[in-house]
Amino acid sequence: MSEHHGHHIASAKQLWGIGIALLILTVLTVTVAGLGLPSPFDILSAMAIALTKAFLVAAFFMGLYWDTKFNSMLLIGALAFFILMVSITLLDTLYRDDVVPSF
Amino acid sequence: MASASPTANNAATTPTKLKVKRFPPAQTPTNTYLTDEKGVWAWLTTVDHKKIGLMYLGAVAFFFALAGFLAIALRTELWTPAKTFIEADTYNQLFTLHGAMMVFFVLVPSIPAALGNFILPMQLGAKDVAFPRLNLASFYIYVFGAIFTFLSLANNGFDTGWTFYTPYSSDSNSAGIIWVTLGVFILGFSSILTGTNFITTIHKLRAPGISWDRLPLNVWALYATSIIQVLATPVLAITILLLAMENILDIGIFDPALGGDPVLYQHFFWFYSHPAVYIMIVPGFGIISEVITTFSKKTIFGYWAIALSSLAIAFIGFLVWGHHMFTSGQSAVATTIFSFLTFLVGIPTGIKIFNWVATLYRGSISMKTPMLYVFIFIFLFSIGGFTGIMLGALSVDIHLHDTYYVVAHFHYVMMGGTLIALLAGLHYWWPKMTGKMYNEPLAKIAAGFIFVGFNVTFLPQFIMGAQGMPRRYYNYIDQFTPFHQTSTIGSYILAVGFLIILYYLAHSLFKGKQAGPNPWNSRGLEWQSTSPPDFHNFSHTPVVIHGPYDYHQPMEEFQLGLAVEHGHGEEHAAADATSSEAVETATSETTEA
Amino acid sequence: MANHSATHPKHVHHHFVNSNQQFESAKLGMWVFLVNEILFFGGLFCAYIVFRAWYPELFTQAALELNTFWGAVNTVVLIGSSLTVAMAIRSAQNNQKRGLEINLLITILLACVFLVIKYFEYEHKLHLGIAPGSFWNPTPEIAAVLDHPKANIFFGIYYMMTAVHGLHVIIGIALMVWLYLRARKGHFNSEYYTPVEITGLYWHLVDLIWIFLFPLLYLIE
Repeated sequence: MSEHHGHHIASAKQLWGIGIALLILTVLTVTVAGLGLPSPFDILSAMAIALTKAFLVAAFFMGLYWDTKFNSMLLIGALAFFILMVSITLLDTLYRDDVVPSF
Repeated sequence: MASASPTANNAATTPTKLKVKRFPPAQTPTNTYLTDEKGVWAWLTTVDHKKIGLMYLGAVAFFFALAGFLAIALRTELWTPAKTFIEADTYNQLFTLHGAMMVFFVLVPSIPAALGNFILPMQLGAKDVAFPRLNLASFYIYVFGAIFTFLSLANNGFDTGWTFYTPYSSDSNSAGIIWVTLGVFILGFSSILTGTNFITTIHKLRAPGISWDRLPLNVWALYATSIIQVLATPVLAITILLLAMENILDIGIFDPALGGDPVLYQHFFWFYSHPAVYIMIVPGFGIISEVITTFSKKTIFGYWAIALSSLAIAFIGFLVWGHHMFTSGQSAVATTIFSFLTFLVGIPTGIKIFNWVATLYRGSISMKTPMLYVFIFIFLFSIGGFTGIMLGALSVDIHLHDTYYVVAHFHYVMMGGTLIALLAGLHYWWPKMTGKMYNEPLAKIAAGFIFVGFNVTFLPQFIMGAQGMPRRYYNYIDQFTPFHQTSTIGSYILAVGFLIILYYLAHSLFKGKQAGPNPWNSRGLEWQSTSPPDFHNFSHTPVVIHGPYDYHQPMEEFQLGLAVEHGHGEEHAAADATSSEAVETATSETTEA
Repeated sequence: MANHSATHPKHVHHHFVNSNQQFESAKLGMWVFLVNEILFFGGLFCAYIVFRAWYPELFTQAALELNTFWGAVNTVVLIGSSLTVAMAIRSAQNNQKRGLEINLLITILLACVFLVIKYFEYEHKLHLGIAPGSFWNPTPEIAAVLDHPKANIFFGIYYMMTAVHGLHVIIGIALMVWLYLRARKGHFNSEYYTPVEITGLYWHLVDLIWIFLFPLLYLIE
């Protein structure tokens, strides 16, 4: 009764490897932030590192790398809609004449 | 006996053969889902999707009656320009409650949670939804949300309009706002759980042979709706949470006095609430597809166009929320883009209307009550849809925003659309759910009252709005009196129509004629079961070899199931839907029951 | 026909064909729920982005009040807990009951450490009068440094984002305690560990949210 196709079992070495990579990236992001890069490179570098960490967690800790493609599409779809929400809202907030009527 | 059955998900290199046989459903079933579990406690603790669907139906009907009663009160108040019998402050609370109840407690859950819960698993040939206990939980969450909303009435109530715009809603010292926002927050989870359940069910629990190109359009519609529910409702949840925090703690994100931006609230609110209107209408589209094919005895025109247009509406529907905010002070850039996208979202809907009408052409049309409602739907929803497009035109909207034109528009699409579709579905699936037929002549009379009453109520509102009558106004100037009075008379006619429906549906439960398994001769899978259905929906694992609208195929070929022993055997012999080739090879082995 | 207990184990619910269909359905259901969580937090991130785009100097100023060191420690703590929950799932898959229990315990412990650090962070700020909304009442030293008129909004966003995240951590702890108790009773094995798997997915999302919260709130220099 083999029903284990699709249940990928990660090795301890793999998991620890990803864990250590995430720690290194954390140290990296704190260091880069300390460099005081000019805007927008400070945000871009921080987000790039965060996205890398997120990818590692999603792909290897959450198992998307070995999982059915549909689950990955769900994650990507959610992010796509988030980006749509933010960018279209910014179309309003960044292009107003007055930001907000102040009191 | 049963030949080797492939384990699910195991893509065999050679298609294995399945033995199928015909299972014509019994005319008068002895054991049904209604008789297998009896008593109040059994109902309250059931995980059977059919019973949960009926409980939702009862709750939705209750809230509809309540909110409808409020509407009658409002319309009666508007008979004269000044006070008729309600105070101004009370009036504001009443229209707020009417709107909030109709949107959140009736329209959003109605078709998916009530009819969808009952019918979806049956259309997929499944025994239940993927997560039956979550299904029951979603019902109780819905009830709790309602209770919290009503608790707000005991705590000063709320009069902000159902949109809870800041800073009025965040400034109000009334505890009523906090209760109702909590109620809506809780209610959101009910919607999310239903959507999650449906998506998983549609992906994982289809019977053998139901490939994606054989999914009923009702299922496609529910699928698109569920996607919207899952993506949009959480944004409402966080908005409501932020609003509550703003009210309690004065956080300041939305209140200009504290440095915040009230238009930002509107962005967040409408990011959910516009897709919400698609949550309301898209399931209705699904019902129309089912009913129109059954009563034209013809396959649907443009299956993929209708299926994919539901997904297109779901997607584009997320991009147009700013058309509720044309006059709010948002940037000209955003305003222009939103207007353009709003015109775009009308296209997939238009495609559906054309395809439905094309389905009628050369069909053998039977004007039973469900079909009558379909025609009413097409007429009323088209008016609603067109006027929506007109509101999408920037220059026009500047004049029409916040007038009765908008009120008429959304009643045409929400009531003339969603509610009429709900009535069509209710009258279509009533024999399946209850095993009884209702009084057909009375039903047609009620439909007539509703159609006439609806137009008399809301057509004058278009004219009033165009002439400048603002919405949510307690007082008005004399020139609008004839319009308001006509509208009020219409609302009473509408009410009569609904009372007639209540009467004959209730009567049918006790004295109705026994319905056979398939009174409409539909080719849908849900009709190849007994009326009412078995506790497990089917007495066998259904096997599907045709599309759901293949009226040119004989009925026998829609009543197939795996040829195994009764009892637990069927559960294990069911193969994955991808083995449709395997199923086709078995048709030559079909034997009569 | 094959006998009932061999092909229809107790843990498989009646409407599922087999254990695998149930497992895959549970996973899909949890991923759909995670989509929902992403959009939920997404609203908060959207508010952050809108206000940061309007008042970049406010964010630079106000972020000085946040302790980067402890934020980084919390990041490490959560990453560690993600690792241990992944190890817990691995233990379940390999039928290692003891390993499962220990890994769950460590995950719970790390999650509690996160909350303790957060508690001290909040306490320190509230002590200085850096409170959300109408409770905004900074001490003179703080007010001298943080003189932007919209300062209360930054901290409104900060408190909302970290508090909602913290609430999710608490829920995660509760779920994992429940898992631990079930694991001790021997409910999980290589055939059935679905609750561990889907709770793990939830916990990884909590970690993911923090991975973005940390640089956005703490690392603005």
